[in-house]
Amino acid sequence: PGLTMVGGAGPATEVLCLLNMVTPEELRDEDEYEDILEDIKEECNKYGVVRSVEIPRPIEGVDVPGCGKVFVEFNSIIDCQKAQQSLTGRKFNNRVVVTSYFDPDKYHRREF
Amino acid sequence: REERKAKRRRSRWGGDEKEKTFIPGMPTVLPTNLSKEQEEAYLVQLQIEEISRKLRTGELGIPLNPEERSPSPEPIYSSDGKRLNTREYRTRKRLEEERHHLIQQMLSLNPDFKPPADYKPPIIRVSD
Repeated sequence: PGLTMVGGAGPATEVLCLLNMVTPEELRDEDEYEDILEDIKEECNKYGVVRSVEIPRPIEGVDVPGCGKVFVEFNSIIDCQKAQQSLTGRKFNNRVVVTSYFDPDKYHRREF
Repeated sequence: REERKAKRRRSRWGGDEKEKTFIPGMPTVLPTNLSKEQEEAYLVQLQIEEISRKLRTGELGIPLNPEERSPSPEPIYSSDGKRLNTREYRTRKRLEEERHHLIQQMLSLNPDFKPPADYKPPIIRVSD
């Protein structure tokens, strides 16, 4: 919708944001959430050292920022780039994974 | 917890690194400077394109391995004995509904949005 995707991904950082991957409904279920977290950690560990993972979960009656996104913090920018190249366009739960780099400062302040 | 782990299905990741989905004109790497609205509209459009592609090509994403498929409902047959609610029929119907929902969402974000040519809104019968 009038969105031109020029300019590419922008500068790489050590935090990868994964979009179009999980739905708030899936994250509501405790077992499913644990499984999703495990699947993501397992896969991301193939591309580098994963420092932390954040998956904002829905809270009844609250508009949770970043809910529906997954954030993965790697040890280095290089690892994060490797993960982006490998994961973008893959399928997760039958959905196409979309990626973008995320500002580490915002990540640490949990400004999703 | 242990028991659940043992029963755990395969990973939610599909295929391997080489198995990627390319949607023409819709890159899967986003720039960091998109607004919330731009990002939402882009993701909705991407899903519309993806579902449209599935419906058009007939690659509906039905797992080849029957064990990975969901249980089927009771069969419904037509008067000449043909099964009506086949897996393909049910999958198409679900995708059409999902796409309809996404198109409605897209139109609320961008009233100028042009739905795909093969999209037909569900018929709502009005009796007067």
